[in-house]
Amino acid sequence: MYEAVHARPDGESTVARMAATAADCGFGGIVVRNHGGERAEYDADAIAERYGVDVVDGVEIRAADTSRAGGYLGSHRPERTVVLVHGGDPAINRFAVENARVDVLAHPMAGDGDVNHVIAEAAAEHGVALEVDLSPVLRASGGRRARAIADLRKLRELIDHAGAPYVVSADARSHLQVRAPRELVAVGEVVGFDREAIEAGMAEWKRIAARNRERLAPDYVEPGVWRAGSGDAGAEDGNAGTREEEP
Amino acid sequence: MKHLPKHLRPRYRYLWVRIEAWPDADVGRRALQRAVWAEARGLFGDAGSAAIDPTVVQFAFEDGAGTAAVRVRRGEVDRGRAALACVAALDGDPVGIRIQGVSGTIHAGEERYMRARPEGGSEKTVVFGGVERAAVVRSDRVDVRTDGAFAGATDLDLGR
Repeated sequence: MYEAVHARPDGESTVARMAATAADCGFGGIVVRNHGGERAEYDADAIAERYGVDVVDGVEIRAADTSRAGGYLGSHRPERTVVLVHGGDPAINRFAVENARVDVLAHPMAGDGDVNHVIAEAAAEHGVALEVDLSPVLRASGGRRARAIADLRKLRELIDHAGAPYVVSADARSHLQVRAPRELVAVGEVVGFDREAIEAGMAEWKRIAARNRERLAPDYVEPGVWRAGSGDAGAEDGNAGTREEEP
Repeated sequence: MKHLPKHLRPRYRYLWVRIEAWPDADVGRRALQRAVWAEARGLFGDAGSAAIDPTVVQFAFEDGAGTAAVRVRRGEVDRGRAALACVAALDGDPVGIRIQGVSGTIHAGEERYMRARPEGGSEKTVVFGGVERAAVVRSDRVDVRTDGAFAGATDLDLGR
């Protein structure tokens, strides 16, 4: 199970500290989801070796309008493993779910954002995961939390109905905000998600990362297809038979 | 009042917790008790929080790290866990709450989860982000004093 975090300079703790805490909590990996202009510097291999946590290079695109979001998407997509779009605005939400190059629509219910059946079905059609952001349940209180819980309940029903992919996160901005998978399961139950649903949402980050790493590999052509002479990039998946010779 | 006979006494479970905070945090047992009650009440209402009945029975905290045991009614471990997970700050100091495990008695939990207490931190000068800064170091974890705040780091981040 993976968690997605904001690290320095976008958060308060370094990627290494986030990874160390994630390891203590029993996560297998973290996705670094710093906003576009606040890239973190880190040595993913050294961190992975020390703490036994996979560090996934991600970005959360935050844009004022959809045309700029499109521009950022074009520049980040070729080099980042996981691309999220900072949701919470109706136009941006719509842009994200209609664009298959986006992996995750982050916190779609935040701010003025909302999700309806059209958004959920577009997310399902284009394979864009909707984020179940537990942070307001964990860190807000009173009326704000009540509204956030109501929004998450609605989101769950729409995800269920549309069969849309989704990820679960505590959206931690410091190592102190990281909570272990069991704790997120317990909090998820408050919001109406059962254990399996929360665990699947934490595992989805890992699946997205693995899929995109494969796609970013230089010899990749399309699912199950690699250029010849590229070694055994996909052989362990039993896809060797579908390899194509390049003309 | 006379103690209840054993078979009528409530049955409890104990949640064993590690608490993390920035080194200057001043966190007390009462703050944790208040926070757990407030979260249980906020999430589950008066009736729910009474059913869970979360009570801090052990507490120790020093230099940004501590431990606690929180007693809940048997059968309410999941809701007690959710309430604890939602404790984000104590008296305004942000905290990380890590639940180590659950036991049926205090004795069993102490044996199992409290053997290794968090070690104390030591003040050191480190190079972080190319600048010499004061820091509190606890094994590989380093809390670096930056301008008016702390940065969470590990020894992998130092010297560059």
